[in-house]
Amino acid sequence: MKLQHYLGGLQGLDPVDFEKRVFVEPWETRIFGIHVAMMALSQHLEEAQKTPTNFKDEWTWASLRKGAEAMNPFDYFKYRYYEKWLGGISGFFIQEGYITENELDEMIELYSKNMENPLPAASNPEIDSQIIHYLRTGDSPYRDIDRVNHFALGQEVKVKNNLVIDHTRLPGYLREKTGIIDLIYDGNFTYFCSTGPDGLGEPMPVYRVRFDPKEIWGELAESNIAVYADLFEAYLDNA
Amino acid sequence: MSKRFYYGNERESYSAARVRALEALLIEKGIIGSETVDKVLDYFETEMGPFNGAKLVARAWVDPEFKARLLADTTAAIAEMDFPTGMAGAEGENMAVVENTEGVHNVIVCTLCSCYPWPVLGLPPYWFKDPTFRARTVREPRAVLKEFGFPLEESTEVRVWDSSAQIRWFVLPERPKGTEGMSEEELAAHITPEAMMGVARVEVKA
Repeated sequence: MKLQHYLGGLQGLDPVDFEKRVFVEPWETRIFGIHVAMMALSQHLEEAQKTPTNFKDEWTWASLRKGAEAMNPFDYFKYRYYEKWLGGISGFFIQEGYITENELDEMIELYSKNMENPLPAASNPEIDSQIIHYLRTGDSPYRDIDRVNHFALGQEVKVKNNLVIDHTRLPGYLREKTGIIDLIYDGNFTYFCSTGPDGLGEPMPVYRVRFDPKEIWGELAESNIAVYADLFEAYLDNA
Repeated sequence: MSKRFYYGNERESYSAARVRALEALLIEKGIIGSETVDKVLDYFETEMGPFNGAKLVARAWVDPEFKARLLADTTAAIAEMDFPTGMAGAEGENMAVVENTEGVHNVIVCTLCSCYPWPVLGLPPYWFKDPTFRARTVREPRAVLKEFGFPLEESTEVRVWDSSAQIRWFVLPERPKGTEGMSEEELAAHITPEAMMGVARVEVKA
């Protein structure tokens, strides 16, 4: 069980930090840019396969999310958003053998002494245009193929509690709760990868499910609230 | 004692050197180019950002037919606007809008990560990514909104939207009173990412 999957509803926390900036340190912009480049060069994309890059892996949101979900939960709270990205992404490049830990340490040493040291000059317009192409076209999980909906509008459904190995899109606080199908989305939706016994990967319907907070939180619920979640069919059962 | 909760003195300078070192190595190894990261950042300054969402909201406020289309088929309505190419691109492949009215208030959260409609809202602010916001909003949205300076009447229903699958949600906020004479452009200037996620109202100073 991973705390990261059970964040929704966690009690005893502080007031929310209403920080409106997207990046709070200039360095954070760079790791964001690197992540977007990796997504655009992910080798499951046809155009990325034709782009002259030495990136040879798949990199999607699922990769980043798996990394965050695999963290020690105390570290998850300790580190800021982009600190987690930096840790996960540099770890990935070392683990997959693109760079070595020594190379990275030496380079860190070099820049620590002088941050004004320039970056290597090696333009790659084809990579850059693939990045823009990816941002403009995305990577839609929508699949317009025949399907059978197992649940009907207005039907009461019970959320399953499937085993999670490393990744899920089912929030913990909804597990084994009962809700009402509020909307059935058109088409089917895939996921970036198979999540094993958790159930995602193949194209399947997605439902908008409405929950009564009293069903979830009991008397700790606030009044006159409704909670909606988009749930993959693999997460639902008849009530 | 464990060092689990210890941050070194050089927390930020170390991260800054580490990310620069990583970028340098990725360029050296031919994984990305030397302008790649700048290109990404420039794109979010100029093409994908909350300036698009603000125009959408302003249009919906002045044109009820457009509003109906935006609520019914968000992607198609966005395509009608004179926006940069790519509004159904990354993190905008499937978007949907919910409308705030006098009796219903909507707030968007992503309890599992930080799903956000990039083409129209750009990148998520820190509060949206904050584990505390994500943890608390699904159980006590009224308390959270009050902390944000946005207390709601008990009679207003609060709908919380947890973006756990593939749909990226945003909010059509209520048009403030006294703005009847304002142009779309003037209206858009007052519409914030916070209002379009449902944690702030649109404020117009007289």
